[in-house]
Amino acid sequence: MLDKEILVVDDEKDLRTIIRSIFESAGYTQITTAVSGEEALALIAKKTPGIIILDVMMPGMDGFELLQEIRAVSKVPVLMLTARGEAEDRFAGFELGADDYLIKPFLPKELLLRVQAILKRAYPEKNRIVPLAAVAVDLDQAEVIREGQRIPLTAKEYSIFEKLAENAGRIVTIGILCQTLCGDIWQGYETTLMTHIRHLREKIEENPSKPVSLLTVKGLGYKLVVKEPEK
Amino acid sequence: MKPVERFFRKYFLSMAGIIALFLLLNATLLFSMLIWAWQTSEESNLSLKEICDSIVMDEKGRLTAAEGLSGLLEEHHAWAMILDDAGTVIFQSGLPEELPRRYTTADVAKFSRWYLGDYPVYVQEHPQGLLVVGGEKGSQAKYYFSVNESYVRKLLVGLVAVFLTNIIIVVLLIWKNTRHIEKAVIPILRGIETVSLGQPVSLPEKGELSEINRQLNKAGAFIAKKDTARAEWISGVSHDVRTPLSVILGFAGQLEDDRTLPASAREQAACIRKQGEQLRSLISDLNLTSRLEYSMQPLRMEKVYLVELARQVVCEFLDGGLEERYGIAFCADQESEPLSILGDEALLKRALGNLIQNSIVHNPQGCRIAVSVLCGKVGITVEVTDDGAGISAEKLKELTADHRRLESTDEKLDLRHGLGVLLVRQITEAHKGTIAMESEPRNGFKTALTFPTSNF
Repeated sequence: MLDKEILVVDDEKDLRTIIRSIFESAGYTQITTAVSGEEALALIAKKTPGIIILDVMMPGMDGFELLQEIRAVSKVPVLMLTARGEAEDRFAGFELGADDYLIKPFLPKELLLRVQAILKRAYPEKNRIVPLAAVAVDLDQAEVIREGQRIPLTAKEYSIFEKLAENAGRIVTIGILCQTLCGDIWQGYETTLMTHIRHLREKIEENPSKPVSLLTVKGLGYKLVVKEPEK
Repeated sequence: MKPVERFFRKYFLSMAGIIALFLLLNATLLFSMLIWAWQTSEESNLSLKEICDSIVMDEKGRLTAAEGLSGLLEEHHAWAMILDDAGTVIFQSGLPEELPRRYTTADVAKFSRWYLGDYPVYVQEHPQGLLVVGGEKGSQAKYYFSVNESYVRKLLVGLVAVFLTNIIIVVLLIWKNTRHIEKAVIPILRGIETVSLGQPVSLPEKGELSEINRQLNKAGAFIAKKDTARAEWISGVSHDVRTPLSVILGFAGQLEDDRTLPASAREQAACIRKQGEQLRSLISDLNLTSRLEYSMQPLRMEKVYLVELARQVVCEFLDGGLEERYGIAFCADQESEPLSILGDEALLKRALGNLIQNSIVHNPQGCRIAVSVLCGKVGITVEVTDDGAGISAEKLKELTADHRRLESTDEKLDLRHGLGVLLVRQITEAHKGTIAMESEPRNGFKTALTFPTSNF
């Protein structure tokens, strides 16, 4: 992930510097910057970056126009930085094919997390193994690996687990999980969700009645705790 | 629009009252004038009967007057005579020389109705004939009326009818006039009310008062223009602040995380970052609140499940690294889980987030926050309660006061404390909801946002 090239397009020098600094200190190695839409297009024509961070308000070609030009030739993920942040802008950005947007002024951590999330979605890792306290889960095979044994996950269990794993360390609300299970009309599926969670715990927890990996956050949702890789 | 209608009703009643008063006053004046005239005019206290009784026939068959009669008559400049059946004067006292001493039946008939040689006279029957008493010339007015009785009756009925018709016509005219004024003035008053609420006003520029309507439209447009300009100015300023603030936040964050720096420098950087974050939320609140105030914020209405929305907001706080001294508990009742309202999800999240953020900001020593979604009779209520410092009754009153904060000329305008609440109120009201706040010093703060069930 850290070797993905990040292209920052912004006319403000200070902003380019701080974005570069944020990603460099997070360990990213390939950061290029462009001061205008024209320069960005020239850079993209030479080599497509891993992700583009794009300011909307720029003299000359603005962010939306640039996005249109980029979309004509490439599906590279784009994060828009908007100073306005009003609803109209956001939707204009999404209609043109932006992957995410961030309203200025942004917090460095927020920018980092969003970019990481986009990269994860755009470039899924091969052999996605999620290490947990008692077991490891192979997302590509939809199997739980417990002491060398492989236990398959049902489709529903898998979709719930995948959602939790994508948001590991953060609470995923009951509504979002139900939505993953049943689509847009998810009301009334809370008990179904609980059943699936119970089955999932039986497969991934050492002691399903005292979970340490798949935690309940009362009234709100569930949280997956991933085992930190030993250094 | 109650007050205006009340005003016109009062106006109409007062006009009717004026008419009634006018009539009453006239009647009183007339009556008192009659009494005055009656009391102040010289009254002849000559009684015909007394005179009649005082003239008697003596033993010799002669008519004699009682003593004092001639004196009495003289005192009143009057005279008396008695005519026998043939018309001859058989008794007289002070009878003027120029008057005849014999009268025909025709003479009697004439003077009993009118005058006798310019003397006003009165007649009465006497045992010996007809007593005629005459007064001083010009002292009495004598008229003789004789009218058909049915004519009199009709006349009386007619008079009453004319009087009543007049009253009705006057009242109707007043009513019509009032209606006319009302029709012309009410749109103007409504317009003024609309302008005072800061809403756009558009009155038809025709009719008698078209000039006033035109001016009011102009005033409304002028205010709207100023409002728009103000909102755009705020938006512009907040826009210009965004990029520098991004840089400040970014570098402060970098310095804070830089392990090569001494601890004190990193603490200072953390302070800059925290203050910068506050400034950031203040700017975005200010921008949104001015847009909402001047109805420049388009609402994206969609089905919103409040329980799930509240969960997501609470989770954002919990995941966002909430400090140890704060705790957020969430609860929702079974009934409200499947309920949805039509709303702008982003704005509602902002409102709830602001309430939680307020509890955190105003309780730096830490507090427990409870967020609950409850289904009640009037609608679905989202409550945010903390057990922190609370605020004084005075301050609470200030917060609950429903004045337009941006228009306030209060010099003590405390944006840091008031703006968050103002924004929550605006968002709630944009969803036809209500906001209620409760607090006591050292006894926590509670805000309840209720959205109507009709909105479901």
